[in-house]
Amino acid sequence: MAKEECKALLDALNRVTACYRHMVLSVGGTADSQNLREELKQTRQKAHDLAVANRNKLTAALKDKNVSKEDKAEFERLWVIFSTCLEILETDMKRALELGLEFPLNVPKKHLIQTGMSGGTAGVAARAMSVQNMKYEAERNIDEVDLKDLEQEIHKVGEMMYEMEMKVNVPQWTVEAKQDPGAELKSTTSAGASSGGFVSIEERKGFCDISKLLAAIVFSAVLILAVILAVCVVKLS
Amino acid sequence: MEKLREYWVPKVLGEMERVIVGMQDPDMGVKMRNQRLLITVIPHAMTGSDIVEWLIQKFSISEEESLHLGNLIVKHGYIYPLKDPQCLVLRADDSPYRFQTPYFWMSTKWPAAELDYAIYLAKKNIRKQGDLIEHEKDYYNQLHKKINHTWDFVVMQAREQLRAAKQRRKGDRIVIECQEQAYWLVNRPPPGVLNVMEQGPERGNCYTTRVQMTKNMDFYKREIEYCKKAMGRTRVKSSICLEAYLKFNDQYMPHDPIMSGCLPSNPWITDDTDYWSMNAPTVTTPTKLRVERWAFNFGELLGDPLGHIQFMEFLKKEFSAENLSFWEACEDLRYGEQSKIAESVDSVYQQFLAPGATRWVNIDSKTMEKTLEGIRRPHRYVMDDAQMHIYMLMKKDSYPRFLKSDMYKTLLAEAVIPPETKKRVFPFMRKQRHSSPSPALLLPSEQDPKGEDKNKALASAAGGGEG
Repeated sequence: MAKEECKALLDALNRVTACYRHMVLSVGGTADSQNLREELKQTRQKAHDLAVANRNKLTAALKDKNVSKEDKAEFERLWVIFSTCLEILETDMKRALELGLEFPLNVPKKHLIQTGMSGGTAGVAARAMSVQNMKYEAERNIDEVDLKDLEQEIHKVGEMMYEMEMKVNVPQWTVEAKQDPGAELKSTTSAGASSGGFVSIEERKGFCDISKLLAAIVFSAVLILAVILAVCVVKLS
Repeated sequence: MEKLREYWVPKVLGEMERVIVGMQDPDMGVKMRNQRLLITVIPHAMTGSDIVEWLIQKFSISEEESLHLGNLIVKHGYIYPLKDPQCLVLRADDSPYRFQTPYFWMSTKWPAAELDYAIYLAKKNIRKQGDLIEHEKDYYNQLHKKINHTWDFVVMQAREQLRAAKQRRKGDRIVIECQEQAYWLVNRPPPGVLNVMEQGPERGNCYTTRVQMTKNMDFYKREIEYCKKAMGRTRVKSSICLEAYLKFNDQYMPHDPIMSGCLPSNPWITDDTDYWSMNAPTVTTPTKLRVERWAFNFGELLGDPLGHIQFMEFLKKEFSAENLSFWEACEDLRYGEQSKIAESVDSVYQQFLAPGATRWVNIDSKTMEKTLEGIRRPHRYVMDDAQMHIYMLMKKDSYPRFLKSDMYKTLLAEAVIPPETKKRVFPFMRKQRHSSPSPALLLPSEQDPKGEDKNKALASAAGGGEG
């Protein structure tokens, strides 16, 4: 069904946008590297492809005259979500450009900011690209080379948004959110690590899932042993 | 002034950014330490004292200045504290700090957007399982209404960002959280905290310099006119001026409730409204201070409603009440409705000015002529001259006699001096000398016990007033 496809595409774009933003956070800091810039480039391209796909599908759905009223309202809601997602993507791309210009990697003069981040963003990029491992194929000065492409892509996204606003007539204020305040607290049925099992990150408590599991296993083993011993004692006496 | 602001703010922020980059130098920069949490070790922490030291050395400034500079940097969010994140202050001791990532640097090109804040609050909501701080809850609800059309996106994006964060190391996750928190503390400060992004009111002096007048003949003619008029203004010597000022203050000081206190007690402090009820516009027995004030000048007497009435009584005895009535009628005309002016003028004329009128007032012939002329084309201020004449007459003639009259003397004798609120011996009978809590703080569940207290206080106050 068109609705499900649109929703799936939108979820994908949403995921890529979140990952992109996460990666732009690290630009200029000590976690910055040529790999990061390449990851940004690849993620950006994927986001662009998804955005185009989304736009085509949604415009087709909105132009379709045989759609029921509820379906039309649903498509309009998805459209609004899509345009907001593009807005955020565009802002992050602009920020990435500015930060990329300010913190070139090959020039030794400017020092990277010691932000405390030590790990890499490979995992995030892999999640964005929906692959197991990231492949790095670019040259050593991708941070400079990429900037021109980035500028062009920002223009493209800007134009796309402008076209969208002009061609599709969806008044934003008529869309009502499905979620009430606090809806995010209820754990989702859809995929991924849900918020229910999320570890609370506080500086005092440092629980690790593995150590919790280990402790549980050891405890249950001891308990079973104790039960067996008790049964033996009862049987023998 | 918009131009100036756009120029100044980025310039200052740019300077701060340069300082921050200077601090990163591995040889000449600030000394870095590791932050040890329970299991994780996070690098790139520095102590407050190290920062202050570095600033002193780099810029050759005093400790005080360095502390001030450091404070500015922290307040603008370039460095954030690790121990007490809500308090954006640089302490010159071993409290830890860390640099903020450039993404979150203060930039005027992309000021913090409502959408981003909504996503941040949604994320925090998920992490803390609904336990947000008061003002964050308010913002959350506000934003839910404001950007309701994209709220679904906010929730989606918040969830996805948290999932993306899970792909990173534990230490990095903590750092990112701290960074975000610091960013939003600067951009959406809790109520009561200074907002560094707010600009003060613009100095509007630029407008006078913008209008460049061509210095031609007209300009100079106007200048000459202006200077002539300025020279012709009446001037009073400052010695005379100041004498009059001193006299005024001497005279009025015992009557000023703030300078000399007020009897029975200041209602704003003791919640006892006797002072106001005793000094109400129409009260049977005026206070002594009030009656004394009528003797200061004629304006005081007429301005006080009670004094006005008493003066009218006095004039009736002297058979010159029509003067005051005329004056009152003229005041009504001056401040009355535009539509009723013609009517008013006519009635005043009939009552007071026409030959053979019932309450004829004695005005000199010149003024009378002028007024009669003016009545032909009535407007608000036709009676001004006549009114002024009568006013001066009353002031010079009737007013001094009033002050010397028996009537005034009896008023003075009968006037009350309100007693000061007595301090009760027994503490529970003492009047509450502190202001009552604001009604806004009185919650419905708490109202009954508080109401009882209030009733008690009122009862003792009533008892005290009579006693």
